[in-house]
Amino acid sequence: MMAMSEKFSLEFNLKAGENNFMSKNNKAFVGWIKSAPGITISGSIILAVFATIYSGPYILVNVIITGGMLALVATGLTLILGVLNIAMFAHGEYFMIGSLTAYYVFTPISNYVNENPDSILAITGPLIAIALSMISGAIAGVISEKIVFGPLRRRSTDNWVMNSFLLTVGLSVLLINLHQLIFGADFKGIVRYWGGMPTEIAGVFISRDRIMAFIISAFIVLVFWLFMTYTRTGRAIRAVSQDVTGAQIVGINIENIVLLTIALSCALSGVAGGSLLFMYPSYPTMGLEPLYMAWFVVILSGLGNILGAVVGAFMVALLKVMTVEYVGAGWDFVVPSILIMMVLIFKPSGIFGSEVRGVLDK
Amino acid sequence: MRAKDEHSAGEYQNAPDVDTPLHNGDTLLQDDINPFDMMLQKTGFTPVGLVGVILLLALPFIPPFNQEYLLRWLIYAAFIAAMSVGFDFTSGYINIVNFGYAAVMGYGGYTTSILAINLGLTPWIGILLGGVNAAVLGLAIGMTSLRLRGIFAACLSWFFGLALMGLATKMVWLTRGPLGLRVPRLFETESNLPFYYTIVILLLATYLICTSVVRSNMGLAFKAIGQNMDAARTSGINPVFYRVFNFTLSCALAGVLGGFYAHFYGILTPDIMQTSKTVEVLAVAYIGGRGSLWGGAVIAFPFIFIMEIVRSTLSNLPGLNLIIYALLLILVMIYYPGGFSYFFDEHLRKPKNRVLRYLMNGRQVN
Amino acid sequence: MLLEVKELDAGYGYLQILRKVCLTIDKGEYVCIVGPNGAGKSTTMKAISGLIKPMGGKIIFNGEDITGLPAYEITQKGIAFVSEEMNLFVNMTVQENLLMGAYIIRDKKIQRDRLDFIFDLFPRLAERKKQLAGTMSGGERKMLAIGRGMMSNPTLMLVDEPSFGLAPQLTENVFQSLDVLAKSGVTIMLVEQNVTKTLSVTNRGYVLENGKIGLAGKSSDLANDGYVRKVFLGV
Repeated sequence: MMAMSEKFSLEFNLKAGENNFMSKNNKAFVGWIKSAPGITISGSIILAVFATIYSGPYILVNVIITGGMLALVATGLTLILGVLNIAMFAHGEYFMIGSLTAYYVFTPISNYVNENPDSILAITGPLIAIALSMISGAIAGVISEKIVFGPLRRRSTDNWVMNSFLLTVGLSVLLINLHQLIFGADFKGIVRYWGGMPTEIAGVFISRDRIMAFIISAFIVLVFWLFMTYTRTGRAIRAVSQDVTGAQIVGINIENIVLLTIALSCALSGVAGGSLLFMYPSYPTMGLEPLYMAWFVVILSGLGNILGAVVGAFMVALLKVMTVEYVGAGWDFVVPSILIMMVLIFKPSGIFGSEVRGVLDK
Repeated sequence: MRAKDEHSAGEYQNAPDVDTPLHNGDTLLQDDINPFDMMLQKTGFTPVGLVGVILLLALPFIPPFNQEYLLRWLIYAAFIAAMSVGFDFTSGYINIVNFGYAAVMGYGGYTTSILAINLGLTPWIGILLGGVNAAVLGLAIGMTSLRLRGIFAACLSWFFGLALMGLATKMVWLTRGPLGLRVPRLFETESNLPFYYTIVILLLATYLICTSVVRSNMGLAFKAIGQNMDAARTSGINPVFYRVFNFTLSCALAGVLGGFYAHFYGILTPDIMQTSKTVEVLAVAYIGGRGSLWGGAVIAFPFIFIMEIVRSTLSNLPGLNLIIYALLLILVMIYYPGGFSYFFDEHLRKPKNRVLRYLMNGRQVN
Repeated sequence: MLLEVKELDAGYGYLQILRKVCLTIDKGEYVCIVGPNGAGKSTTMKAISGLIKPMGGKIIFNGEDITGLPAYEITQKGIAFVSEEMNLFVNMTVQENLLMGAYIIRDKKIQRDRLDFIFDLFPRLAERKKQLAGTMSGGERKMLAIGRGMMSNPTLMLVDEPSFGLAPQLTENVFQSLDVLAKSGVTIMLVEQNVTKTLSVTNRGYVLENGKIGLAGKSSDLANDGYVRKVFLGV
């Protein structure tokens, strides 16, 4: 049914080769440190610690917030790549849809709360907006599968990876301009979700919204990971990503899994947009930056590797924050993209990828 | 279904159709053919294509196209047409989408602009140097993406493009960043006519260069690599040379066109390196028909005109023109992957009438 | 009658491979299809299991018409397919692979029982249950594929080329495990190139040539048939 020329699959290990991180064996640990994930992970940690000492803990806070958001977007991207075999270019647009939904849901709520400050909505309102942003992301994903990817898949799966990629390019342009046409090109932002005094953590003042944003993304990533690892459906999604025929043989309805996957990953992207509305106001092309960053993560951590995508998200966030801090604002495209190009040239399977099929041309 | 796809993967203009038996009169031996048909055959034009070229040359004198603002549209359309030919040369043949194509174009533009502004170099040499510089960049992209499969090679060129655009934005001392460079124009005149003829010549040159390459043995090698790298390798084609050569040539063409763009509009900002510009070229090339080279060049004119008309008449609905082109791209990708060139080959190329048949196909040499 | 295939036409795209293939299998039988390369043995299997849509004909299983149903529904009806390429989930552990085999069983307890049953049958898999399927040897993967097929407690098992690419010793192991299954009452339809071996273990056989059933009969009769001996056994 899906005779696809290139196939990516989902993986759950951060291992490269034989070396296992969890091993108590000292030798194995030294070996892991010397491997690509070891070097990059420990290097990033050292870098983060250095930057924190040098410039102050706010760097760490920024990395954690950005990384949490990126983790959501990038896991979704990786999931689509693994299961549907689509190199998604429109993933940032679901981020945009999420933030747009949150804006239109939250604005009336916040007006109401301004008049009735004691209302329960002061606390639950933002949560409602964020939840709805997740749902709208999922719905948008399902619609795009139904009217864009599904028809192509039924018509022909020849040269699927490239064709579906070009379709997502068209989809991206379409969604961006629909936003502009219907809602206008101006910034649609809010000042705060919860407001209140910033909380002091270890000498740094962090606004409540930021803390909540991180808690939400951490919670969702954790739930998602548990779902993928331990539930029957999660296993089925992984199974489809590893072998479509095998999945059909054991009785999995591929169409349902495909639909579920795209809904899930677009929901992840949407909730990222919704929960960060207070930082990034909604406007038509806002999705491009998360998209670039998520692609950096996916290339860096290797394809279809969910746990790797989470770790990679924080690395890319660190890279971005440090670039802005030490090189200058606006360079945060140049430096990461050059580094990612290096990864693509010298280690195309990504740092957590085992010898992944499909990347290299052999 | 499958047959359709194979067809669309690239049937260049004058390839004799194997499955349509030709009438006796149409098929001639090499010696019988007259010099005119021979010339057409060599350059990759059909008689109807030649008529199109003549029309293109005469267009600025035909109302309503003799108005200056319509001429500017025409210039932009011809520019996009030439870009789409160069783009299709890579994506339609070796099956790799150069997603940083606009950035390469901008890179060529910046090269000549900076030379012209800082060293006072004449634009004509500058444009050529821009092409050379872009070719070097194409060589670099081709070399580094050599090991990667289609989609990852596309990603690499995309990241190249992003990095270039970032550099152009941030190297303010050289490029004045988002403010843009004021570039001397190619001709010191208010009229758009010389620019129009320059871009038409560039378009024809681009087309002739690309067709002459793909009609040589190289074209076969490109297609072999694009369809199945391993099979190509086992039949003795060295993909390294062909892929790198393809990238280099198509980027060189983009560089030259970028130079023209800069010297025509007189202002160059990093905006032209944006991915959305690549997407515009891509849409034209794919709607025109991938692997045909001429499809994108033909379709660019109506396409750009529709876009501009929608944009200027429905200016209260911003983005509508882009929605139309996105929808067109999606519909073509799903339901008619062959694009315009496939439609032309299937429905217009085989008329019963012999004169029409000659017009559509030219003489075919066995 | 458990499975009845009536005048089945099937193929890939425009290429028709099977022409009016008819076969039947009764409950508890151990049937084989033999034939030269390209005769359409695997195509028959894929058509029955729903991986390719038949172009014509009927497939009736347990009195129910299953022609043209998607593969997952056919699996749910009780037909398990062990493909030639095995189609294992290479980045999952052996245990996860087996659990995937029981995907259509929602009851956790039955799943566990089936798992124990498979581990009893193939102790080798029990030893390696935490290993990734992709890192196992060819013979072990075959075992895993058969075990995964068994997990759903199928009424009929279709096994495609279990000896393909295996060393003779391992082939012997695979045939032994199939024997055990057949004796435990599972209906098996086996496709094999190793004609001598196959005809010596099965009850009944079909000879498929150029997409048509050439001969059918008891395996022992087929093994002694002059034509079969000449074409497949070279005697």
